[in-house]
Amino acid sequence: MDSPLSSDLRSSQLAQSSWCHPANKVHRFLALLLMCFLCFGSYFCYDTPGALADNFKGDSHLNTSQFALLYSIYSWPNVILCFIGGYLIDRYFGIRLGTIIYMIIVTLGAIIFATGVYINAYWLMILGRFIFGIGGESLQVAVNSYVVLWFKGKELNMVFGLQLSFSRFGSTVNFWVMEPIYRWVANYYGGYERLGVALFIASLTCVGSLICGLLLGWMDYRAEKILGRREEHNSEEPLRLLDIVHFKPVFWLVSVICVAYYLAIFPFIALGKLFFERKFDFLPQDANTVNSMVYLLSAALSPFFGILIDKTGRNVMWVIISTITTIGAHFLLAFTFFNPYLGVIILGISYSLLASGLWPLVALIVAGNQLGTAYGICQAVQNLGLATVLILAGVIVDRYGYFMLEMFFLACLFISLIAAVLIYIVDSANNGVLNMSPSTRESITKQCDDENDDETANLLDHEHGSEQEVTDSRDQTSSIQNQPPLVQRDLAQSQSDRIRSRYITQLLPNTNIPERQ
Amino acid sequence: MFPSTIKVYIIFLIVFLLQSTAYGQHRTITSKLNPGCKDCGLNSTLIYVKAEGLVDTIHQIWDFTQGIPTMILAVGSGNSSIDINWSGSKPMNFSMLEKPHYSYATAIDKIYEYNDLEDIGAFDVNRPYRIQSLKNVSWELKESVLTSKKVMVRLRGTLRDKEGRGTVEMKLEYVNFTDYARTLPHLIHNANNTLVDISLVNLTTSRHFNSSRFAVHLVLVSEDLNNLTMHSVTRKSLDDEHTPGVFEIIEINSPRLWFTGSGGFLQFRPVAYVESQRNVASSTLAHVSNFTKTSLPQWSTLETFYEGYDKMSLLVQDLVVSFGEPGDGFYKQHNYTAWSYTLGYGWPPAPSLSLMGVMIISLGITVLMALLGAGCVMFVMRCWCRKTTSPSHPSHLTDEDSLERRCNGFRTI
Repeated sequence: MDSPLSSDLRSSQLAQSSWCHPANKVHRFLALLLMCFLCFGSYFCYDTPGALADNFKGDSHLNTSQFALLYSIYSWPNVILCFIGGYLIDRYFGIRLGTIIYMIIVTLGAIIFATGVYINAYWLMILGRFIFGIGGESLQVAVNSYVVLWFKGKELNMVFGLQLSFSRFGSTVNFWVMEPIYRWVANYYGGYERLGVALFIASLTCVGSLICGLLLGWMDYRAEKILGRREEHNSEEPLRLLDIVHFKPVFWLVSVICVAYYLAIFPFIALGKLFFERKFDFLPQDANTVNSMVYLLSAALSPFFGILIDKTGRNVMWVIISTITTIGAHFLLAFTFFNPYLGVIILGISYSLLASGLWPLVALIVAGNQLGTAYGICQAVQNLGLATVLILAGVIVDRYGYFMLEMFFLACLFISLIAAVLIYIVDSANNGVLNMSPSTRESITKQCDDENDDETANLLDHEHGSEQEVTDSRDQTSSIQNQPPLVQRDLAQSQSDRIRSRYITQLLPNTNIPERQ
Repeated sequence: MFPSTIKVYIIFLIVFLLQSTAYGQHRTITSKLNPGCKDCGLNSTLIYVKAEGLVDTIHQIWDFTQGIPTMILAVGSGNSSIDINWSGSKPMNFSMLEKPHYSYATAIDKIYEYNDLEDIGAFDVNRPYRIQSLKNVSWELKESVLTSKKVMVRLRGTLRDKEGRGTVEMKLEYVNFTDYARTLPHLIHNANNTLVDISLVNLTTSRHFNSSRFAVHLVLVSEDLNNLTMHSVTRKSLDDEHTPGVFEIIEINSPRLWFTGSGGFLQFRPVAYVESQRNVASSTLAHVSNFTKTSLPQWSTLETFYEGYDKMSLLVQDLVVSFGEPGDGFYKQHNYTAWSYTLGYGWPPAPSLSLMGVMIISLGITVLMALLGAGCVMFVMRCWCRKTTSPSHPSHLTDEDSLERRCNGFRTI
């Protein structure tokens, strides 16, 4: 390991104006480009079954239940991994190694899946998707860490937005190109082999992302040396599951939306291609294009909706509005023969709007040092919901058809709407903090901070505070007694900041799509 | 608000139940196997079904005695009946005291094997194909149910000619109530129609064809002027609940049905199955060709039945129904293709939402209304509370208690 002196020397040798210097804008732009491509492969390959749904039926002879399991199996490992993926990076791997390990897992998963399809072995397909799932979600956490490391304090919002929009664009591109790739491969191969070869080609995007990961790792290593930066290895537990007992009902209502709402989005996209082909007589390529609209709109509109919600606040109202418009979109798709672009565009807009309004709610509900746990739980229940419901969705299509699947999605959205209205009611009973305009929120925060400063001063006088943070709003006396001492507050704050950086994507206005959300 | 929702729900249910019962007019069924035949053995099957309704009687003849599977549907007055005279084990003459008001018939007289070199799926008359007549097929009755509620026969025909071998299985079912068929594609059958299911099992393919698919040739006969034509109607339904993944239903209506509403029809989904275990994965497309004018097959039961009819008042057309879709591996992939249709009289039944579907929709509307109501009540209450508290609290943010409560709320709702 280099001494600080040698790194200073190198730093001085390389002028900051040079594009080779890690602090230079061009250099950081190159790093950003690599970060964008890091998740591209994973997002691209995630939806390859969806883009080739009819070919999976025709070539591999999978029924819808088996097909849906390809998606479901991805979510199973992430019920747990969304808690520990980031922890492993922090404590054991470090960002560079962690990213490369997760990227290797993703690539391996994609290749195994393609091999399974190539030899028409369903178990191998499932194994491939399972391995792919192990790496996929954790990779996003690793990339988030990279973004924070490289752009902390500088263009962080924009970079997060760009990176996630680009990842989402990977899914869109997949829907655009897989059908032509499949048709091209069909000139040389037949049966399930052509599908397998098409998937091998798709997995090349993961190899490309892996190369990006290696390059970025090297750039980061170099930057560490030149800037004398040290990668922090935290030994603390990143998440405290016992925090769950302190979460208020309104948090669980948000979790219900996290599950119920997204159940009407992702399974729909996964099974959508055949729906568009069969109900609306779309050609496979056109069906893929309409199916990709949700992701495309999400990538394009999220930053704008982030700004909208930043300006207007009233998150709960936006959540309710977007849930109602999503119901309208599914209603159009289920009960009419209108051009499905109409329904899907409404769906894409609503989905982006909901994400912008919903995820910042968690930060308003849960105390800062419990944020990691809260987001972890949201993701875990969401993955659990997706894992189980995707199987159910496949069975519904096989036994009762797409119309009943749409009924199921509508039922999920009604549950989501009930939860959103309940949040509004509970929030109203608590002076409507969640549904405030930003100016009101800001003025109250300011006044609360002033009040807290007075409280802290009092506590410093009598150092009797327990280690617990304030959790109960109704008991003012106990909340004052439970305030931590200043030093502990700082420790908690620093840990909170670290967790915050990991989950910052959920909080930032233009980066409100955590992992697969 | 709530009573109106309940009202909508009840109307929905009533409409649903009325629609369900309106489909099938109740009919009294009498059925016989080879009625009046003394020389018929196990390989001779003709089923006569008489379904008496309040205003008319539907007579059905399902004949397999002359190789070509033939289904004839004749509508007569309330107490009419058909007598069959036999020549050995074959029907020689069908007689009715009173000429039927109307008749409609179908026969599957040929199977086409076509070489789908471009892997399109549909039969194309310009591509190589060969014809296998079903005239010489011997049909063995495998199962029969002849009760007052249901008539069902299952037969197996064996193809044994120079060109090819294999089995053709047929199942015909008639019930006097409205129901969806038990097997996919779950077509609706009621007292006015009969469900016909045909399976082509292990047919040997031509050595000269390497992309073989099979199609069935259907002859349609209707008591209509022969300068008219059958009408093919493709209807889209929102609901694919009964046939998952298939939103279309095809009807081939006779001119009389088209113009007067009381003629014969053929109804089917454009789907076939390539495995005996029918499901979405084993489904393939069924393609229908255009109609062409033709004549009654020679030496067939159709010819016997329509003997003496004026040729000008008999519309005879044929069509080819082919099976397959690109990339499915052709017939040899599974050596099995099954297809179903219904043959009936009157307006073809329209599929409707199941009770479960209706329940979900009405429940959704109820929830939406309830939420809307709750939201409105909340909004009104909040406005009312603000009005009543505003004189004593001109600026709530400056009030200490209020701020305290708000801060607590902000931290940990």
